[in-house]
Amino acid sequence: MKPVGLEHYLVVSGLLFCLGLWGVIVRRNLLIIYMSLELMLNAANLALVAFSRFNNKLDGQVMVFFVITVAAAEVAVGLALIVALYRKKQSAHVEDLTTMKS
Amino acid sequence: MNLMILELAVVVLGLGILLGDLWTAAHQKHLLGYAAAALLGVILLASFFGLEQVGSGPAYAFNNMLVLDGLAVFFKRFFLIAAILVLLMSVEFSNRIQSGISEFYCLILFALTGMMFAASANDFIMVFVALELISVTFYVLNSFQRNRLASLEAGIKYLILSALSAAFLVFGIALVFGTTTFTNFADIQRALVANPALAGNGLFLLGVLMIIVGLGFKIAAFPFQIWAPDVYQGSPTPSTAFLAVGSKAAGIVLLLRVLFVAVPAVTQHWSKLLIIISAITILYGNLCAIPQRNLKRLLGYSSISNAGYLLLGFAALSQAGKAAILYYLAGYLFTVVAAFTVICLVTRDRDSDDITVLAGLHRRSPLLAMALTMAMVSLAGIPPLAGFFGKFLLLKAVVEQGATNSAYYWLVGITVFGVVISLYYYFGVIRAIYWSKDVTDFSPITVSWPAKLSLVVCMAAILYLGLLPGKPLKLSEDSALALTTPVSGSKQLFH
Repeated sequence: MKPVGLEHYLVVSGLLFCLGLWGVIVRRNLLIIYMSLELMLNAANLALVAFSRFNNKLDGQVMVFFVITVAAAEVAVGLALIVALYRKKQSAHVEDLTTMKS
Repeated sequence: MNLMILELAVVVLGLGILLGDLWTAAHQKHLLGYAAAALLGVILLASFFGLEQVGSGPAYAFNNMLVLDGLAVFFKRFFLIAAILVLLMSVEFSNRIQSGISEFYCLILFALTGMMFAASANDFIMVFVALELISVTFYVLNSFQRNRLASLEAGIKYLILSALSAAFLVFGIALVFGTTTFTNFADIQRALVANPALAGNGLFLLGVLMIIVGLGFKIAAFPFQIWAPDVYQGSPTPSTAFLAVGSKAAGIVLLLRVLFVAVPAVTQHWSKLLIIISAITILYGNLCAIPQRNLKRLLGYSSISNAGYLLLGFAALSQAGKAAILYYLAGYLFTVVAAFTVICLVTRDRDSDDITVLAGLHRRSPLLAMALTMAMVSLAGIPPLAGFFGKFLLLKAVVEQGATNSAYYWLVGITVFGVVISLYYYFGVIRAIYWSKDVTDFSPITVSWPAKLSLVVCMAAILYLGLLPGKPLKLSEDSALALTTPVSGSKQLFH
């Protein structure tokens, strides 16, 4: 059996990224869309860590720390916004975001 | 440390505003905005005394992650001016924000910090962190009027699409890091020269493309522009203005550095892509703006078309093009801030941003009418104002490249066509001011002196940049020198 190499990690990370993108495009619930976005970010994290390991350079791992931290901040603000919208509108669906249809 | 003294000062000022909020009576809190604007003015002045070492070439810090060169200094001052004018506008807006006006000021300062870091970014890690600092503060700024559904919606739309573009950016950075083993711009450029085959590597090119997607979102270039009209319309007016000026300029400076410092070889190769994006962005923005009746939405589409004009300078791939981008941005700053300040003042007592609120403005307040007229005329690109000279420089840079590729002449044609279309809707705004039939409201609009001052400064700058272009042009040419490609032979990569 072939040992697990860089390609394997990259394929998984690419699949996760596409899965996340698919979720953002087809799902209608804001929370699920937000989850899919996190999936995309984590796909990128996986790629960064894999590249870091196989290039023997730590820059990628450092970048992952930044991505995780920033994503946490982003989630905090994002969920607060979604809750605020839910309180106002009693819905968290993208179809209902139509106040500005012209 | 010395290199980020301006950013540190802005962060300390932001925290100071938060603290100052505790000792300020509720009815005086909006005055903190004046304090913040005045202190930013002091920081701006200090930047002219504290940063002399820039003259002796670029300075680096933190393992080359930060760079302080002419370009960085140009943009730092640009962002400081923008933030001062936006803060003055926010004070006029304070009666429409139920609670937490000091947090609004403080978030503007934090967004400003992100933009100033973006101006200095010399490493993809820095790019990501600076961009996210801008994005996350704008999620809150855009949805600051929590009780207005439109504002919440604007915030959520911006949140989802900005996070999506951030995911593309990070994945692109991962691929570029994986193929070059570097995240630093200069290192990547050296790696490209040392290993020309890299510029043909599919994974590497995909990475660069995804980074361009992430940055293209920030400047609202086609096809990443869908968020702009809705977000511009729904957000509080000062946030919209800061988004239109600051966030777009931050995207531009990062795009300049990535395309011309990190991957110049790829950029040379992709001039066609830049030409196409620029042409479609100009056409899309101008055509969609025609039927708009909401002022902020109209300016949203106008902002898309302006992103297209700015991309002309990228497509030209020349030093003249880069200098023209900086010049155009400077004119754009004052024009857009003037327009949004007027909108902010006129709609103070109304809930609508419809174009009809402008009816009879020249009788209600001649100053506001004049400022908005000048802004529209400048945006439309009519001489002798700033917008005309900026567009002239951009087109000149593109025409100069015409000899190498006839597509550049097509680009000029499309741009001129776009400008002609834009005359129609910009003059629609002017017509609404002076020649509206059903004027019902003749009550004069009182304008506070700081707002008057900011409008006068904007109008003076629009005139100055249009009539006396010598000095500012020299400044933008000098600033663009930071983007010359020092590594020789990068053009031979594809032979």
